[in-house]
Formats: sequence, C-alpha cells, structure tokens
Amino acid sequence: MDADFRIVVIDKNPLRAAVLGDGLREAGHSDVIHIDDTSDLLSRISALTPDVIIIDLESPSRDVLEQMFEVSRTIARPIAMFVDRSDTSMIDAAIDAGVSAYIVDGLRKDRVKPILDITIRRFNAFAKLKDELESAKLQLEERKAIDRAKILIMKAKSIPEAQAYAMMRKVAMNEHKKIADVARSIITAAELLR
Amino acid sequence: MSKLLRVGYIPLVDSALLHAARATGFAAAEGIDLELVRETSWANIRDKLGAGIFDAAHMLAPSAMAVCLGLGYLDMQLVAPVALGLDGNAITLSQALHADVMAEAGPGGAGPAVTAQALARVIAKRKAAGLRPLTFAHVFPFSSHHYQLRLWFAAGGIDPKADVNLIVVPPPFMAESLQSGLIDGFCVGAPWNGLAVEAGAGEIIHPGRDIVRNCPEKLLAFRADAAASDPDCVMALSRSIRRAADWAADKTHTDDLTHLLAKEAGLDVPAGLLRMILDPSLEPDTKRTAIRLDRAATFAHPAHADWLYAQMRAAGQVAEDLEEKARLVYRPDLAGDLSETPSDLEPEIFCSMIV
Repeated sequence: MDADFRIVVIDKNPLRAAVLGDGLREAGHSDVIHIDDTSDLLSRISALTPDVIIIDLESPSRDVLEQMFEVSRTIARPIAMFVDRSDTSMIDAAIDAGVSAYIVDGLRKDRVKPILDITIRRFNAFAKLKDELESAKLQLEERKAIDRAKILIMKAKSIPEAQAYAMMRKVAMNEHKKIADVARSIITAAELLR
Repeated sequence: MSKLLRVGYIPLVDSALLHAARATGFAAAEGIDLELVRETSWANIRDKLGAGIFDAAHMLAPSAMAVCLGLGYLDMQLVAPVALGLDGNAITLSQALHADVMAEAGPGGAGPAVTAQALARVIAKRKAAGLRPLTFAHVFPFSSHHYQLRLWFAAGGIDPKADVNLIVVPPPFMAESLQSGLIDGFCVGAPWNGLAVEAGAGEIIHPGRDIVRNCPEKLLAFRADAAASDPDCVMALSRSIRRAADWAADKTHTDDLTHLLAKEAGLDVPAGLLRMILDPSLEPDTKRTAIRLDRAATFAHPAHADWLYAQMRAAGQVAEDLEEKARLVYRPDLAGDLSETPSDLEPEIFCSMIV
C-alpha cells in the first residue's frame, strides 16, 4: 500500500545507501532513488518530487534542504521536517544514528513512521558494521606488529619464539601497555638502530 | 574538577574566538574543559543543540531566533550571552556579471545603491534578450547573508522572488558553483569570498559593511533550560570568550590565530589568505571584508535582535507579531553585561539612505 511513496536518499556513502535501499524495498517501497551529494541539489530534487527525503548528517547539503521549509517558487510542494515536531524521541534517535529526514507536508504520521524506523535501524546497523570492520582491521594490524617484533627479538637475542613473546608480554604488563604497543616500540627502535 | 562543555561549530573565521578560548587556556582557567566539535551544516548545529548532543554552539543569530519563534520543527528556547563577532560577509559576483554591473554603473561611483540599480538594469536587459534569470546564493534561510542580499536587491528595486533565483549553497561549494556558472553571485562569510577571488572565480562587489555596518553574525547559543540550571558555567564560558577576544585583537597573536584556524578548526584554505582576513591592514581595499572579533563585537546587543527580526519580517519569514519573543535570545545579562548597552554597535543600513 505504501509503494506510492517516492523516497530520495542523499548519501555520499554508496554502500550505506544500498543497505538502506534494500531495507526500504524489503518493506515494500520500490520507488527509492539514491543521489550522491552533488551540486544543484535543489533543482534535482524538485524534478524528482519525492514524498520523503533522507539525508545523512555529514552532508553539508542539509542546509540546501532547509530552504524547502519556505514555500518558494522553486519547490512546488512544501516540505516539513520529520513526522511531528512533538516526537522528540524519534528526532533524537535519528540524530544519534546520523541521519535526518524531510517529509512532504500533510503525509500521515503512521504511514511515514515505519520508513523512519527502517532508516534509523539501517544507519545504526551500518555504523556497527563499520566499527566491527575497523576493529577487525586493527586486530589484524596488531597481530602483524607483534609477529614482526617477535622475530626481531628472536634474532637479536637468539631465543625461541615462545620466550620472545613472553618477554614482550612481561614488559607490557609491567608498563601497563598493550602488547601491540610494546611491539610497535620495538619495531620503531629496530628501524632507528638499523 | 573542570566541567566538560561540548560546543559545535562550523569551520569559519568567526569560530576563531572559541578556538582561541580553548587553545590559550582561558576556558580551562575558568574551569571549563572545552571540547569543540566540527559540524557540516547549520541544520546540524541547531538539531544537535536541541538534542543535547551539544551544550552550546556557534550559531547563526537569525537561526537561533527562528527556533525561538517556532519557525521550524523544534520547540525550544535558546539564549545567547555573547556574540562571536561582527561583520565579515561580502557579496561576490562571477567575473562576467561583475563586469556587466560595473559597466552599467559607469565611472561615477560604486556605492551599493549605484551597483544595485546597475544590477537591475542588467537583469532587465537579460530579460529582454530572453536570457535565463540570474541565480544568487546565500548560506541558510535564516542568515544575515540572506538579508544582506535582499537589502542590496531592494536598493535597486529588484524583487528577490520574481527577478532572481535565490538559493542556498554550502560555503565550501560556493567558489566552484560560481566557476561552473551554476550561480552568478553569492553572499558568504570569511574566508570564502577571498577564496573565490583567489581562485579567479569572481570579484567582491561589496564587503558586507557596504550594505550593513555592525552586522550581527554568530552567537554563542545555549538551550535556555540548560543555561538557567548552570548560570555560572554560562558566565564562565562568556568570560573566556571575552579574554580570547582581547587576545585575538592583539596583533602579535595574529600568526597564532591563523595557525589555530588552519589547523585546529580544520579550515582547509591557504594560511596566507586567513592571515590577510585576520589582519585587514594587509587586505587590498577591493577585498576587505573587515571581520570584527574584538571584545566590543562580542556584546549580545538587543538592537541586533530587533534589526534581525525586522529583516525576517521583510523577507516574509514571520507572519505574526512576535517581536517580544525575538528579543529573548539576546541575553547580555547572562554574560554579566548589565551596566551599559553600547550605542556604537547598532546595525546601520547604507542602502536605504543612498538613492
């Protein structure tokens, strides 16, 4: 029943836009258009005549959309922000998720709310995914540093691997540092002394 | 124990006093751990202040007033104990339009009334020749940049609705939009005019001061309820802004201030340009934007509220009579400014006087 909504997603991040687009389509909204953050936004949006505009908060173009509050000759239909100005919890949740939405004035609250719910959930999920990816990358990088430092110690002191690792762990514990940080110091020092 | 205050700002020259208050230790000396958070839009500044993500913000004065007048979606009251500067905007035209207007204005003079009437004639000629209408950009519907453009148009009898397109473009995109012909002119704050000129995209036709002198710009805005629950903190941050203004006004600190803006504020423009903006004696007359960051320019002057409210009315943004409400944002008393109201800081419009 909601297939008649046209939703425009403005997001510089194509991956996140795709994740959101999938979510909206799964919920039955087939008319989802992604535009990345480029110039001449106002006239492009006017031409698309969306019912709902979703924009990521990192985009400076939010201020361009603010102009649509004012009834102007450039925009045929007035746009309001969010569903209801009294619904502060929804607004706060959206801001926390890093997204904002503009909705054509007069659309019924109960019809738009599910769209916002999906948007907020997908944005949050995407942020979580990104965090996990970054932490996995960091872990990998740390493991590599530890391995390199271990080899440096093994060579310098002619000791076996397990002992080299134990030495680093002991220093880390004594100095209240992460073992990866100790490893990085060893690598830096070895490069300086080379 | 110092108190953590998270303050949102837009990377602009007039965010300088916040950065100075933090970097010089003036804020820390007042017991404030000042965390400055860079933002990308005035809409974000407003929303994050409203949602309590920011304790205070570098905010367009009319944007703060618009919130309090209920001209948006948020119901909240904001208060500003101090301003963060005065003046500093300029109107820049594309090379082509600048040449047309100056040719039309003739050798006589280049006051804003003369140039506005010249612009009106350029617009009429374009219309007669069947050319597209000119497009001008500003930064936000509720901004002095918007009102300065309107005042300039008014001096030439140009109808901002019928005769031109008036749109919002984020400042970092102004120069390229002018270069690509998407817009024909804009009004924006420092350093973006100087940058467009350096890029060869356009020429400054009027520093903001030609149109309005002592033009209110950004405020240090707090939510009224938060300010009421901790007035000492509001006063302390205001004091540190004042000390930062004195520090910034000392010419021996201009290099440090330039460095602060280029590095800490993340203003990704050449340091030489920033330095020129901060020390107007270095700017050639044609490019002087004359931004003011001195102590007097931080006074939250009630006359500024009245002037901005009048501009909002003139722009058709306020329908009812809300003058009393509009005044509630400017609260110099919260900064301890009870004694006297400076008389030499009232906005002065030149356009309406020159015919």
